[in-house]
Amino acid sequence: MRAAFKFKTLYLMMAPILAYFAIFSFYPLVRGLVISFQQYRLIGDRPFVGFANYSDVLKDPVLWDTFGNTLVIGAGIFALNFILPIVLALSLNEVASAWFKKITQMIVYLPHLFSWVVVGGMWILMLSPDTGVVNQIMMLFGADPVNFLSSDRFARAVMILTSGWKEMGFTCILYLAAIVGINPALYEAARIDGASRWQQVRYVTVPLLVSTMKVVVMLNMLGILRMFDQIFVMSNGAIADKVDVIMMYTYQRGILQFEVGPATAAGFLIILATFAITYVTRAVIRYDEG
Amino acid sequence: MVKGKKLFSTIMAVSLIGGALAGCSSKAENGANAGADTGTNAGVTAPASTEPANNEERALKIMTGVIGGKTPEENVLFEKEIERLTGIKATVNKPASDYDQKLLAAIASGEKYDLLQISKSQMNSFIDQGILTPLTDQVTGSKVLSDPSVIPTNEWDQLKTKDGEIYGVFTKYQGGTMPIVRADWLTKLELQEPKTLDEYYTVLKAFTEQDPDGNGKKDTYGVSTAGLYDVQGFFSAAGLKARYVQTSDGKLDVPFSTDAAIPVYEWLNKLYKEGILDPNFATNDSGKMRDLFLSDRVGMVTYWDAWVGMFNNTRKQQDPNTTFEAKALPGVPDANGNYMLRRGDPDVWVIPVNAEHPKTAFEFIEWWNTKEGITLGSLGIKDNDYTVDSGGKLTLTETGEEHAGDHGVPFWYNSTVEAPFGKLPGVQAAQDLVNQYATLELTPPNWADAEKIINEYSFNAIMGELPAADAVKKMREELKAANLID
Repeated sequence: MRAAFKFKTLYLMMAPILAYFAIFSFYPLVRGLVISFQQYRLIGDRPFVGFANYSDVLKDPVLWDTFGNTLVIGAGIFALNFILPIVLALSLNEVASAWFKKITQMIVYLPHLFSWVVVGGMWILMLSPDTGVVNQIMMLFGADPVNFLSSDRFARAVMILTSGWKEMGFTCILYLAAIVGINPALYEAARIDGASRWQQVRYVTVPLLVSTMKVVVMLNMLGILRMFDQIFVMSNGAIADKVDVIMMYTYQRGILQFEVGPATAAGFLIILATFAITYVTRAVIRYDEG
Repeated sequence: MVKGKKLFSTIMAVSLIGGALAGCSSKAENGANAGADTGTNAGVTAPASTEPANNEERALKIMTGVIGGKTPEENVLFEKEIERLTGIKATVNKPASDYDQKLLAAIASGEKYDLLQISKSQMNSFIDQGILTPLTDQVTGSKVLSDPSVIPTNEWDQLKTKDGEIYGVFTKYQGGTMPIVRADWLTKLELQEPKTLDEYYTVLKAFTEQDPDGNGKKDTYGVSTAGLYDVQGFFSAAGLKARYVQTSDGKLDVPFSTDAAIPVYEWLNKLYKEGILDPNFATNDSGKMRDLFLSDRVGMVTYWDAWVGMFNNTRKQQDPNTTFEAKALPGVPDANGNYMLRRGDPDVWVIPVNAEHPKTAFEFIEWWNTKEGITLGSLGIKDNDYTVDSGGKLTLTETGEEHAGDHGVPFWYNSTVEAPFGKLPGVQAAQDLVNQYATLELTPPNWADAEKIINEYSFNAIMGELPAADAVKKMREELKAANLID
């Protein structure tokens, strides 16, 4: 109590933030949990139905199809968004020209600032089989045009690559910030020991990026099951069965079909799955060990 | 202690995500209390009183998707115009976008509306939840609404439930979709209006290969669609209705998944393979499809009757000397000579069970179908969208010209009310086709699940990724396995 009084200014500063999360996150979370156990009606009484909503969605094959899609696309995006930014950051760190480095950084970061409505629409145009720039280039080399966004074969790859393209710059900046923070004395010591440029990267830079890599892994893992905007914008009837993710399932049941009870139950299953994935990931990467 | 901290921080992280996910639902839950507080109306579907006397406060709270002013400022004028014409103090909530989500959130959060404008499929969901006031007695007892010249008697069948109850009243005349052809291209290439699938193929091939726009480049397509929206006019050749039908023994079936659909899929595949069907048809939205048609890139689209006039009007405004002529076609008849087009789901006014002014709401619905109501819903607001001179002649203002006679009611049922400025060129002929050949589609609640399967295999068949027969077979197997057909 004495400590609380001593740090009262800090607690006072925290109060608005705590109130914000209490009102906009925790309260809705609890109410949502209640709804997931109810037979939901927009107006009027809502009887409790136990685990019926959970049973309903768990027996629904569409849930499992979309969960499968989420894991496949999410794993692809995870891998791409982990590897590409490291390569890019290490490459940019080797660039001597400051203006080239800054311009490249800006260019790769820009897509992150745009919403998926813009980015998705742009890629739909660029991948168009007749006027899209990708097919135009392919045709220059004598290849037949490919309908990337309506072909089962390419649908998931397109989602993974476009997501990697959009988010690569943001993650790259995290790595660049970490690289800037590395003590130059370590490189000097390595050089004195006769380390080549590659050896400096391999034995100094990369090991010191591990803690940033862990943060990136955690952020990417937390995002896998929340994927929605991209698929909502870029999916179409021809590829929906290959790319519709689990958040699309909750959207379809909750908003399009007005089945709020099952949709909320599906939402809580996603929370549980995210909890499990996060817990396992933290353990695997030993997140708390720095 | 460390483990406790770990667990706490993990719970915090997951909870934050959960909060975001459950955000929408939380609003919905608020409605539980609100619904419970609605007194005698809560949770029941008690019919509204049919007594003629209306002692309610003359006020209405309305939520609409398309009815109202085009801007927030004009929406205020719209509310004042309702009050001027009816004496009812109306508040019209017309969200700028995402109507369905906002409607759901508003009702579930406990807001009490007297009137809602919703689609028929939404009405069916709301009926299932028991949150709408039955209007059967009021409609049959209404001098205005029971008048067949105001709403034709057989049109009510669209809105009746299985047990004959009426829960909604039309907000406007809802048209249908059909193939729309560039009639000027037909003339230019000396082609006849097509009637069979083979004739359609010939015409569409000519549109693709014979440079109908005369720019010397091979840059046109015969036909474009926005996904499978809407190919009913072609499947009509096999006598097949889109979505679901109820068979004579009461079972639900999807005609597009039957063997009879195979020749139509093969025909569409031929168009796709030969570059006659726009290769972007799977990713097109309706806006892109319209742009292609208006920019001389495609000779035929499948779209709404009202757009025949809008296409013609748009091009006429761009160039008064244009030869552009869009014309509606009835599609392809089946072996018995019957055409089959698609009628759009009607938009309706409904009164929620917790409405505070249900009698005033019904009074407004009746008024909406009179000349004054129709004028407000179409032309708009007096002295803002149009003016009336001393002789009673109407003149559109610049704002009225921009709003093109559409404030939620571009067309209406009431045959005693003439359109003051006539209809746009080609619209009447298109509407005649709708009235003659179009029927509503049957859309069960699980349609979204069925649609995914139908789309997948239909696209596979059209794009040649599977032979049509295999695609249809797999489509049917999956629909059966998922209990989506009987």
